[in-house]
Amino acid sequence: MSKRIKILLFGILLVMGQLAAGQQRFPKPEFETGYVQPSPTTPEPRGLAMEYMDVLVLLAVLSLSTWFALRSRSRRGILWLSVFTLIYFGFYRKGCICSIGAIQNVALSLSDAAYTISLTALAFFLLPLLYTLFFGRTFCAGACPLGAIQDLLIIHPISLPPWLRKAAGIIPVVYLGLAILFATTGTEFIICRYDPFVGIFRLDAPYHMVVLGVAFLLLGMFVARPYCRFFCPYGVLLNWMSRFSKWHLSITPSDCIKCKLCTSSCPFDAIDHPTEEDSPTPDRTYYRRFIIYSLLIPVWILAGGFIASKSYTYLSRAHQDVYLSELLIHHPELVNDPDNLDIQAFLSAEKTLDTLVEDARLVQQKFRTGGWFMGGFIGLVIGITLMNQVVFRKRKDYQPNRGDCFSCGRCMDYCPVKN
Amino acid sequence: MNEDQILKISANTAIVAFVFSFIVAILLMLNYYQLKANDPLELESMELLVERLKDEPKNEELKNEIRSLDLLARKAFFTSQWQVKTGRYLLLLGSIVWIFAMRYYFTARSRIPEPDAEQISEVSARAFSQRWIMIAGGAILLLAFVASFAANDHLKPYQASGEGEGEGPATEGSIEVIAITESPDTGQAEADMPEEIQLEGEPAGDEDAIGITSPAEITNLAGTHHNGFRGPFGNGVSQHKNIPVDWDGAAGRNIRWKTEIPKHGYNSPVLWEDKLFLSGGDMSVRVVYCFHAKTGELLWQQEVSDIPGSPATPPRVQEDTGLSAPTVTTDGTRVYAIFATGDIIAFTMTGKRVWARNLGVPDNHYGHSSSLIVWKNHLLVQYDSGRGGKLLSLDTSTGNTRWETSRQVGISWASPILAEIGGNMQVILSAEPLVAGYDPETGEELWSVDCMMGEVGPSPAFGEGLVYAANEYARLVAIKPGAVDPVVWENDEYLPEIASPVVAGGLIFIATSYGVLACFDAASGEKYWEEEAQQGFSASPLVADGKLYAMDTGGIMHIFSLSKEKKKLGAPVLGEQAFASPAFSEGTIYLRGEKYLYCIGNE
Repeated sequence: MSKRIKILLFGILLVMGQLAAGQQRFPKPEFETGYVQPSPTTPEPRGLAMEYMDVLVLLAVLSLSTWFALRSRSRRGILWLSVFTLIYFGFYRKGCICSIGAIQNVALSLSDAAYTISLTALAFFLLPLLYTLFFGRTFCAGACPLGAIQDLLIIHPISLPPWLRKAAGIIPVVYLGLAILFATTGTEFIICRYDPFVGIFRLDAPYHMVVLGVAFLLLGMFVARPYCRFFCPYGVLLNWMSRFSKWHLSITPSDCIKCKLCTSSCPFDAIDHPTEEDSPTPDRTYYRRFIIYSLLIPVWILAGGFIASKSYTYLSRAHQDVYLSELLIHHPELVNDPDNLDIQAFLSAEKTLDTLVEDARLVQQKFRTGGWFMGGFIGLVIGITLMNQVVFRKRKDYQPNRGDCFSCGRCMDYCPVKN
Repeated sequence: MNEDQILKISANTAIVAFVFSFIVAILLMLNYYQLKANDPLELESMELLVERLKDEPKNEELKNEIRSLDLLARKAFFTSQWQVKTGRYLLLLGSIVWIFAMRYYFTARSRIPEPDAEQISEVSARAFSQRWIMIAGGAILLLAFVASFAANDHLKPYQASGEGEGEGPATEGSIEVIAITESPDTGQAEADMPEEIQLEGEPAGDEDAIGITSPAEITNLAGTHHNGFRGPFGNGVSQHKNIPVDWDGAAGRNIRWKTEIPKHGYNSPVLWEDKLFLSGGDMSVRVVYCFHAKTGELLWQQEVSDIPGSPATPPRVQEDTGLSAPTVTTDGTRVYAIFATGDIIAFTMTGKRVWARNLGVPDNHYGHSSSLIVWKNHLLVQYDSGRGGKLLSLDTSTGNTRWETSRQVGISWASPILAEIGGNMQVILSAEPLVAGYDPETGEELWSVDCMMGEVGPSPAFGEGLVYAANEYARLVAIKPGAVDPVVWENDEYLPEIASPVVAGGLIFIATSYGVLACFDAASGEKYWEEEAQQGFSASPLVADGKLYAMDTGGIMHIFSLSKEKKKLGAPVLGEQAFASPAFSEGTIYLRGEKYLYCIGNE
């Protein structure tokens, strides 16, 4: 069989597989009126084979991105790869499934024995982390549709002061903590619900989502990739992994000639300068501060845990049971409101208010306990971030910051050393 | 093409693409609002036609009109949807062109930047970062901490059915507090041998307790006694004089006695000569109390139990209504009480149980709160629950139903009043949507006006030949009963949620739950004055001795003269929260606070 016939057969099988995967379980009703069934606004369930294909595509994109960043050092390659990612994982797959949201699937599967995580979700969660552990954040460079849409819109990036970046860096940690808390309590997948770009990918979203997405994109013209840097919860994990990456993108393929051309190349302020150029050098004050900040870490953890645990009252209201029971206690007249679908659904379930309140209290208890972990985690990160500020490491060359660098390859383009 | 031309083309393309995208975005937004505003399923014109069809079910022309309108609306809707869908793609296309043009323009213009001449010192930058990390981290924790205190746990006070309600310890005041001990006549002994509904015509109760048997005598006495919610005939106007205007509950000034009420309740005290009645209760027990009006001594208390049909577990009610919100009433022969369980009971003036029955647990999400009123030998019960409305007349001596009138109304928390209209006594009720008058002898509806909305709490009032009714989110209406055009005037400036209006001296007074006390002309509805209290009003204002007495929930009694000009006569303080309306007798005012019962008179 010739190579062309093999490719043709493969193509036919691929199309047929896709058709089979998209088949309805039950035929839609036909009124014989010429009415055209509208497409659903949310993605239809995907066939298993196609899900695995998504994993394969992710694997391929990750590998290519890594190749472009580390081996061929091609910024152009990464750029066109991110365009593909935007089209495939963004507009074609409509932003679902994505690695960022997969955090919640993993968290829920760890807390709820009845929830079985799909292999696809697990792969989407683990593959980028594994790649990052070995090669840096090449996932952010070319395999993340959320990153790609922002990256393509960077027009005139401004440099943000380090204090602002460090302070705003706490936001994704809080977001990650909340996302895990909400997922483990079975409340909601807030990362998906508040994904600012999914509405753009699906060309359909609630009004506030469209506004949020457009606002991020407009901001991103000047503050490069604002969601990735100051909101993305998955970015927190990638940042940690990347710090330990065995191989990471380097600005220059050889010795740095310290031409400083790369200093303004990074729109994300992710290039660390050589330490020799800094003055004055840290004195004994920093040793004392290191000790104080180290001793303060348990205080941050306890304060965070205590406050987050106390915050169960308003956090737990996002859970349907708590929301509904409070609504029914405060507005019992709503049982007569046929338009209140939440209450009508509750009534049709023939569940009593006592049982509902009992369930809601269990949820509150989960939030109280989970709050200790979440707040403790946030406190720990704040404490360590603070401590890291007084730890100085020697650097000889201009280097990408391993945690913050998205491996986009812009700095490589600026470097005059090509071999 | 040279570089300048390329730059120019890319810049112009970017401008055109931006303008195009902007226009498409604006059109999309307009379309979005249009879609929201014109939901084909909720068209007002369609609803009107459908309403008409209910009256004319066989009108084929009307049916065709509905079909045409429906088709038109749906076509418009789906056309708009198509426009939105197309617009999205156009916007996407425009945005892509704009992005590429912009990128091309900026890339073409970009030059290799000059390296930074000065590097920021890492040490100083990190010092600054430390400060901001601490500020940001601290701010996040502080905000969460404040929010955790600002948010109330609404599930905490919720008690599942069957759970008892706790009672806080009583605090001692500076004046003599009469301790309530186990009364020798606790009623439990009688409860062991309940006398259930007596046979019709059979004499019941301790008729000699007051020595009144004639209904006419009772009628006359009822006009002078504060024998029910808001006094004689439930109209809020007392004939008693020399009512004090100054007291201090905490300091004991002008407080004759103060007695702790064993069980909490939102009902008001009622009086018949030297006996003062009220009720209280919780999930475990409901009780009727009789105090000595001169001394505050608890004469008797009777538990309301062992009633056939009474629910084993009381219905779930709101904490701010409770199970004993209705005020008891008396005709001088018996005292009658009703509770949110649907239990209704009669005792003699000495506390002997006469009859008791259960009217069926009312379907009322806050809790039944309509008070009883007595007329001759009719005990009138406004029983407007979620299962339908009705006005009941029970025989005062037996509890048997004398008549029952169905009402097409929603749940009501208002109480009935009695008024003499056209020479005949009428019982007047307010509920959503009707204010209506009934013959208390037969239950026949004499008139009704469709003018109320929402969850009606305030009772109606009568004066100057007009009936007045009001409710929050509805309006204040003056009604001429029986007239062709019955609504004389209406006003919606200040509307009460709980407290009932009172009419006297050509004026009508409204007390709102947000703390405004307003005076209007009873004949025209013209507003004369308003007073803003620090707390809202739950207790209904009453008129006595030519003065208006309105007590806010903080226990401050706002006393005004009955005049068109605002003239405040005093604002004495009870010293605790208060939700019940006062009761008057000659030279005395009785007030029920959150925990204590007060007798106030000039010393």
